[in-house]
Amino acid sequence: MSLTPSQWAALLPLLVPALGACLVILMSLDKDQATTKWIRGAMYGTALMAVAGSFWYLTDLWKTGAQPTFFQLHMDRLAQFTGIFVMVAAALTILQSWDHFHQEGWVKGETLALLLFSVTGMMLFASTTHFVALFLGLELFSIPLYALVGTVRARSESAEGGMKYFLTGAVASSCFLMGGVLIYGLSGTLDLAAAAATLRAQGLALDPLVLVGAALMLLGFLFKVSAVPFHQWTPDAYEASPHPIAGFMSVATKGVAFIALLRIFPSSLGPLTAVGVKMQAVVAVLAVATLVLGNLTALVQSNVKRMLAYSSISHAGYLMLGFVAGTPAAHTGVLFYLVIYLAMNLGAFGLLTAFGLVGEHTTFEDLRGLGWKRPALGFSAAVFMLSLAGIPPMGGFYGKYMIFRELVATGHVSLAILGVLASLVSAYYYLRFLVALFLQAPSAEAERLASDRPVVHAPLAGATVLVSAAIVLAGGFLQYFLVEGFAKRALVEGLGLIR
Amino acid sequence: MTWLNLHPLTFLVFAPTLLGFVLMALPHKFGKLARLLGFLGALGIFILSLAWLLGHTPAAGGTVMAERAPWFTLVGLPVDYALAVDGLNLWLVLLTTFLVPLTMLGTWNSLKDRIGTFAALFLLLETGMLGALVAQDLFVFYLFWEAMLVPMYFMIGVWGGDERRYAANKFFLYTLSGSLLWLVALLYLANKAGGFNPALMAQAASALPFGVQGWLFIAFAVAFAIKVPLFPLHTWLPDAHVQAPTAGSVILAGVLLKLGGYGFIRFAIPMFPQAAMHYAKPIALLSVIAIVYGALVAMVQRDIKKLVAYSSVSHMGFVMLGLASMTVIGTQGAMLQMLNHGISTGALFLLVGMLYDRAHTRMIADFGGVAVKMPIFTTFFMIVTLSSIGLPLTNGFVGEFWILNGTFLSGFSWGRLYACLATSGVLLGAVYMLWMFMRVFWGPENKDEDSGTHHLHSDLNAREIAVMLPLVVLIVWMGVHPKTFVAASEVPVAALLQEIKAPAPRVFVLKPAVHEAPGIPVSGSPAPEAPAAHEVH
Repeated sequence: MSLTPSQWAALLPLLVPALGACLVILMSLDKDQATTKWIRGAMYGTALMAVAGSFWYLTDLWKTGAQPTFFQLHMDRLAQFTGIFVMVAAALTILQSWDHFHQEGWVKGETLALLLFSVTGMMLFASTTHFVALFLGLELFSIPLYALVGTVRARSESAEGGMKYFLTGAVASSCFLMGGVLIYGLSGTLDLAAAAATLRAQGLALDPLVLVGAALMLLGFLFKVSAVPFHQWTPDAYEASPHPIAGFMSVATKGVAFIALLRIFPSSLGPLTAVGVKMQAVVAVLAVATLVLGNLTALVQSNVKRMLAYSSISHAGYLMLGFVAGTPAAHTGVLFYLVIYLAMNLGAFGLLTAFGLVGEHTTFEDLRGLGWKRPALGFSAAVFMLSLAGIPPMGGFYGKYMIFRELVATGHVSLAILGVLASLVSAYYYLRFLVALFLQAPSAEAERLASDRPVVHAPLAGATVLVSAAIVLAGGFLQYFLVEGFAKRALVEGLGLIR
Repeated sequence: MTWLNLHPLTFLVFAPTLLGFVLMALPHKFGKLARLLGFLGALGIFILSLAWLLGHTPAAGGTVMAERAPWFTLVGLPVDYALAVDGLNLWLVLLTTFLVPLTMLGTWNSLKDRIGTFAALFLLLETGMLGALVAQDLFVFYLFWEAMLVPMYFMIGVWGGDERRYAANKFFLYTLSGSLLWLVALLYLANKAGGFNPALMAQAASALPFGVQGWLFIAFAVAFAIKVPLFPLHTWLPDAHVQAPTAGSVILAGVLLKLGGYGFIRFAIPMFPQAAMHYAKPIALLSVIAIVYGALVAMVQRDIKKLVAYSSVSHMGFVMLGLASMTVIGTQGAMLQMLNHGISTGALFLLVGMLYDRAHTRMIADFGGVAVKMPIFTTFFMIVTLSSIGLPLTNGFVGEFWILNGTFLSGFSWGRLYACLATSGVLLGAVYMLWMFMRVFWGPENKDEDSGTHHLHSDLNAREIAVMLPLVVLIVWMGVHPKTFVAASEVPVAALLQEIKAPAPRVFVLKPAVHEAPGIPVSGSPAPEAPAAHEVH
């Protein structure tokens, strides 16, 4: 079988990381990888090259405006947007993990291969509406992540977190599968974008089984974005996993799940369909629960990673509010929010690596006084935390602004009020991070321990933090260009192709 | 120079931030250089603002300088980059640019650590304050309003007293709570108006049912009242003032609180005239409570700085009372009182800071007989105290007199009673200030080894005298010839109040473009809700 150039073009962004992953696996067969630095360098270099290659290819596609397809794989603007999003996240993660795994003293090439396979799965997941391809993508990006969470085997929590994530994730995947089976059985089509119309034509739009199927599929998505009540895995998994992997999961998994939901939800479950109205009510209720629970629980955490986990739950709540508003502008807001969220959350997790906080040393106590010792990182931390809290002029403010604005415009004023109150609560725990960094002197105990330990250098992680801070600041001042030139085009030109 | 000629306000607002980032990037060991550069920069901004703003002849509407350009349209709402200096904010802008370098000089040696970063944050704060003062678009105003919080948070939190973390968090979250709810009100109104232009928003507001207008006004008023702070939303203020370093307290009292009052006169009252009239009486009542309550609480304080902080609650109560009187003289008095309070209370905080730097205590009981040891300091403190009390020929008298006059004439059913009660606040002000002055400065010298007086070895030096002199000159100038400072706001204030009290809805006075909103009845009866502008994407 020979492929046309256009089909190659659609496939290449997926093939490059997958090929890179295979190469890295071959390299990691070398027994000396733990002792020989150049092999490690070659593995990381290959992984970075694979990500960068895919990134450049995608940006090239974006520039030419081509939207190639390969059967059910639509490499349209939205998929290209997702690809760029995932590649940036992966590149930052790879750079951070070089430093982090060296700090932990546990560098294995397999982690990189798993990460690259996960990236491939994410690309597939976000560029199709075909149910089987969707499920393939879901599993392809989830299973490597289950393994990555438990990657530092020396720590017992690591295995616990990985197992917890795997078991709950497997249940969510099977629910997703069951939901798809029900929809397929009733509509007779595997293309979810077409299923809604078919069901309507057959008069089955409000059949109880359709409702059950749609709810089960939604559950699969909500699990991935860690919305309440499917969030319990999040804090444990983030705490157990290496910092960069936790950052990658919080950003890329959530982002891809939201984008895939965006591809399917408005067309098949959106407010225009009978099922969609019911599903939207469900999403509204769950968004409220997510905001309340995520923010209130984050208040009482003493571990920064757990705080960031609950914060990422609460951000899922804001993004879900964007779906409740359901207008094109709100969806654009969701995409913009994701871009900023990528930078601020990966930056925040990268800070842990850049500050050299290994193992369980990730409490607020361990952060004390670090902002003054490392001013550039401290400044970036202030940017991330203020942006996460939604304080202007950071990029995070505009994400919330767009979503709240659409909520008000669609008459959900009470949800907007709840959203701003949630932001107010969140400001407290983000400030706690800054309080520890700048407002508290390091404890005597910590000073003594620090003098015993060698000084940690994490230049790559530090660089990723600075880059992320630059993106967050740029999001605050060039918000218009990001929205108009990037998010809106992805949405309008990308989704327009399918519908 | 062409760019500068076209964008003088942009330069004034953002030059401090640019300099601030440069200072922040300077290595730690260049702290003293950063402090010097920061001061010189702030001084340059002051001189420029003085030359530009007073040098221009105002246009017919009172606008001294203005810039307006479309900035961006996000989610269907256009945002204009609109800045202007006019009669309402001219003197507040000058007060800000004046107080920043003065405070830097006045607290030159107060801080020992990270002085470069402090100077940088100070300059960032200046950008926030100036931006909020000159913004003519509500979105831009909101951005500056929120951005102002961050440098102040760090100034209190890093360089403050023992309870600084608590005070900084309280300050930040308290203010944020008001402004976030206000954001929802802003979005609601912007959605109706199709943008953040205050005139369009006022027009859209007047078309809303009165109940909705009332809620929107409350959202605006609460956000501003927290900043003022109006009783009972004042509880963050004593903590923030007492814990903040001297420079933070001066700017907090001198400018940040003013932004609350300014928000009322610039946005809340003109945009919701009917609601403002409706709620003027409760606001006046709260103001009277603030005046008396603040004074009574100040009387029992043992810490001089806390006393001054509570006196701020009382003095800002006068400002709110003047605004609530809805009379020209009362509002003009409020405008003047804002400047007065900025000068007098700023000077008081500076003086308390100078005392604290020497004695390392602020407790009244630790002093006594300071007049013997520091005669120059005592003289300055006396003048500022008298100004704070409102002695005739000082600035405090004129503002308070106008406000009380306005309240008396306001026509409220209880207006005269309010005026009488507020007058008792003036009396109480004299009691707590003079009582404190007596205990600290007069009487026998406190010879106790641990006492504050014992640690006072030097009177004010040349730098400190240079800081106090301009303040004293202003105190007398404003007391003798207040017209200099209120002439600019006379026309806009009179126009504003005339529009509010005019029987016809304001939309017909301002806007010839009635055709755009069909269905609004000609009479003064409540207009039906205008069709929601359906956004176009």
